[in-house]
Amino acid sequence: MLTTRFAATVRRSALALLAGATVLAGTAVAADDKIKVGALRFTSHSASFIAFEKGYFKEAGLDVEFVYFQAAAPMAVAIASGDIDYGVTAITGGLINLADKDAIKIIGGALHEEEGIDGSAILVSDAAFKDGVTSPAKLAGRSFGITQTGSSFHYMASRIAEREGIAMSEIKLKPLQKVGAIIGALKSGQIDAWAIVPHIAKALARGGAVHIIGWVNDYAPDYQVTTVFTSAENAANKRDLTERFLAAFSRGAADFNAALVDKTAGEDAAEATVRLIHKYVYTSRPYEKAAPSIRNGAMRLNEGARLNLSSVQAQLDWFKAEGLVKGEIGIDKLVDGSYVETY
Amino acid sequence: MELRLAGLHHGYGNIEVLRGIDLDIPAGRIVCIVGPSGCGKSTLLRLIGGLERPERGEVVQTGAPPPGCLNPLTYIFQDFALLPWRTVEGNVRLVLEDHGFGRAETAGIVDDVLARTRLSEFRAAFPRQLSGGMKQRVAVARALAVSPAFLLMDEPLSALDAQTRELLLDDLVDLWTRERFSGVYVTHNLREAVRLGHRVVLLSRRPGTVREILEIDLPLDARAGHAPELEAHRSRLWQLLRDEAHAADVELVDG
Amino acid sequence: MPLMWNWSMAERSDRGRPVAFRGGGFSPRPLGVVGPLVFIAVLAFWEAGCRTGLIPPLVLPAPSEALAALAHLVETGLLWKHLGASLQRLLVGWTLGTLLGIAVGFSIGLFSLARAGLAPVVAAIFPIPKIALLPLFVVWFGIGEGSKVATILFGTFFPTVVATYGGVDNVDRNLIRMGQSFGLSWLSIVRKIILPGALPAILPGFRISAAIAIVLLVAAEMIGAEFGVGAYILLAGSLMALDELLAGVAILSVMGLTVNWLIARLERFLLRWRT
Repeated sequence: MLTTRFAATVRRSALALLAGATVLAGTAVAADDKIKVGALRFTSHSASFIAFEKGYFKEAGLDVEFVYFQAAAPMAVAIASGDIDYGVTAITGGLINLADKDAIKIIGGALHEEEGIDGSAILVSDAAFKDGVTSPAKLAGRSFGITQTGSSFHYMASRIAEREGIAMSEIKLKPLQKVGAIIGALKSGQIDAWAIVPHIAKALARGGAVHIIGWVNDYAPDYQVTTVFTSAENAANKRDLTERFLAAFSRGAADFNAALVDKTAGEDAAEATVRLIHKYVYTSRPYEKAAPSIRNGAMRLNEGARLNLSSVQAQLDWFKAEGLVKGEIGIDKLVDGSYVETY
Repeated sequence: MELRLAGLHHGYGNIEVLRGIDLDIPAGRIVCIVGPSGCGKSTLLRLIGGLERPERGEVVQTGAPPPGCLNPLTYIFQDFALLPWRTVEGNVRLVLEDHGFGRAETAGIVDDVLARTRLSEFRAAFPRQLSGGMKQRVAVARALAVSPAFLLMDEPLSALDAQTRELLLDDLVDLWTRERFSGVYVTHNLREAVRLGHRVVLLSRRPGTVREILEIDLPLDARAGHAPELEAHRSRLWQLLRDEAHAADVELVDG
Repeated sequence: MPLMWNWSMAERSDRGRPVAFRGGGFSPRPLGVVGPLVFIAVLAFWEAGCRTGLIPPLVLPAPSEALAALAHLVETGLLWKHLGASLQRLLVGWTLGTLLGIAVGFSIGLFSLARAGLAPVVAAIFPIPKIALLPLFVVWFGIGEGSKVATILFGTFFPTVVATYGGVDNVDRNLIRMGQSFGLSWLSIVRKIILPGALPAILPGFRISAAIAIVLLVAAEMIGAEFGVGAYILLAGSLMALDELLAGVAILSVMGLTVNWLIARLERFLLRWRT
């Protein structure tokens, strides 16, 4: 008992350092369950923002405090350390390895690629485009920007290569750590290609410095881009709390889809939703400039936080094949499928 | 070759160090310069060798240096100024390297001067392995290597203990007896001055002027046996120097 | 009065007492075995902690796991690929940075104009963390080897400049005057008196700049590096593969020790004239 208590304390403090999280205060109401939710200031995290602003969390008896991160990987670490309770982010090698150590579990789905809705685009630099790289089939021998080995960008690149019959050894992956660095390298022609969410892709393509040559959806159909995850402890022992969180989160996702993806809620609702999201995303830009980016970035969030298990399985298999995670980890260790519908 | 100092004036900032020094330095003899601390003895020596530029006056060289002379005005320093990263041999070779000798020729000169200073068996030693007296002998060997017309010696024995000083003084007498070099020898030690100087120049306290010139006619190699006569010269110099030295001693340093 | 009393005491005891020893201490003795012993003890405690579960694997993997990761690197031959890429960057960056640093350090030490013009610039740029300039290097030198080498080059350049001109300033002026008095040429004085005289300050500067180069390696390999010890550590970190992370850190540590040892040998050889 003493040892586990000690271990938990050590783990918490050690991982808190790793995570380097910044805590922003939310509102405090005594009666509700206090939870901390990790978020990136991206449009894809809108479900949480909407659920908070419209009071869905409160109605579920949750007092939510957002903790903001700069990248996906530290968020997984912060969940493992217990610094945050729930998070939404892409499946990374780090996340899988933490799941392997019984620290975290995927409990639902969020952003995913869907046919008919503009998803992540495949971009090439102007120089590469003029050099004849006008379709993903011609990426052999070209360089492709990724943040890190084992990131979602790496996964997308390998999916494209596989479908086009290009050996991965023929695509030169360039790890550049940050999205900003990749954008700079692509604009200046230091790398040839990249794949990125639509609002960034469209904004870049409008400038003329890069060209869209294809869509990720054609190569990784129904790609489960981001998932909802929590600590293994929460998933196993706090069922009620977790269910309430997922329910409120799903209401936010439904509102988002209705307002900006399916556009069934009408223009007024769309406008109101964009204004709401602007409180969290692109806050440094005036509303007029932020609004188109937010609308452009609207990709489908899973209804009811459904999870595309076959896509998760495919990603897990790929991580194993690449040797980025240990071979023995199974999908059961990564995913707790008892909370939401999986398909 | 001879040297003539004409109306030398020098100072540092507002402090006048030397005032109106006129002096002839003949060839083949040793001129000793003595004086109280801070009277500008060492400054005078640096002016003579061209390491400093006098404010006024000039140092004139008359006649040509002897043939084969590589560095007419050659110093021997109080702190020896040996390169610690070179051996005895390397330190001697240093001053020959810029003269374009062949390997054999250089080796010949080095062997010769090391033999003359009885250092041949220590040629591979580094300065840190040598005693103070040995180091100064290396410096003498190095000076001899460039066949100087004048040896300018700046308190060469002051950093050594009394016994070593005595031995090295005998060495210098021997050397002069054999080579008959011309020298300027700066010291604050009157015993050394009367032992080594054909002419002893006494400077006053700062600003230094020539207070007295003493000629000692006894040949250098005969002086060992004439202790009373030398003692008389020494005590006469001390009478003259004592008041100057006392006055200099109670002055403020930056007065 | 007390003195008298002591005398009478001494007289009463006929054989006297030895004077108590009061010296000693304040001079560390070399105890060769203690260092390795502490190291082994820490490792053993750590391993035991991991085996018994006192230290959970999420916090710190066992040393044996890190060793296994290292063994895996050796087996697959990846170790040599990573080491080769890193050593090449270190060698090129450090050599260029050091040569340039010595050249600039000498100009500052020897020429008043260079001192007036460059010394303040060096003082202003020296404290900037070169990692912060990485994006600039990427713009200037590209995402290939250029920016990596440049990061290490800039990191080693400044400490070398400072060490070199400090060394030149500290060369015994009497030795320089001696050189002048023997009519040595300017170049001879610089080569034979100032350079060796400044070496005792320049060589410790090498130790510092080599350590900085290794520290910067991880930063340099953040951008577009497929192989390299730094890239390996970064990848291990992003994958939360802590055993590989520790293996990579151990490699860096060994690199640092090796470089230190090499420089110590160089010092012993070049400065053998010192006591």
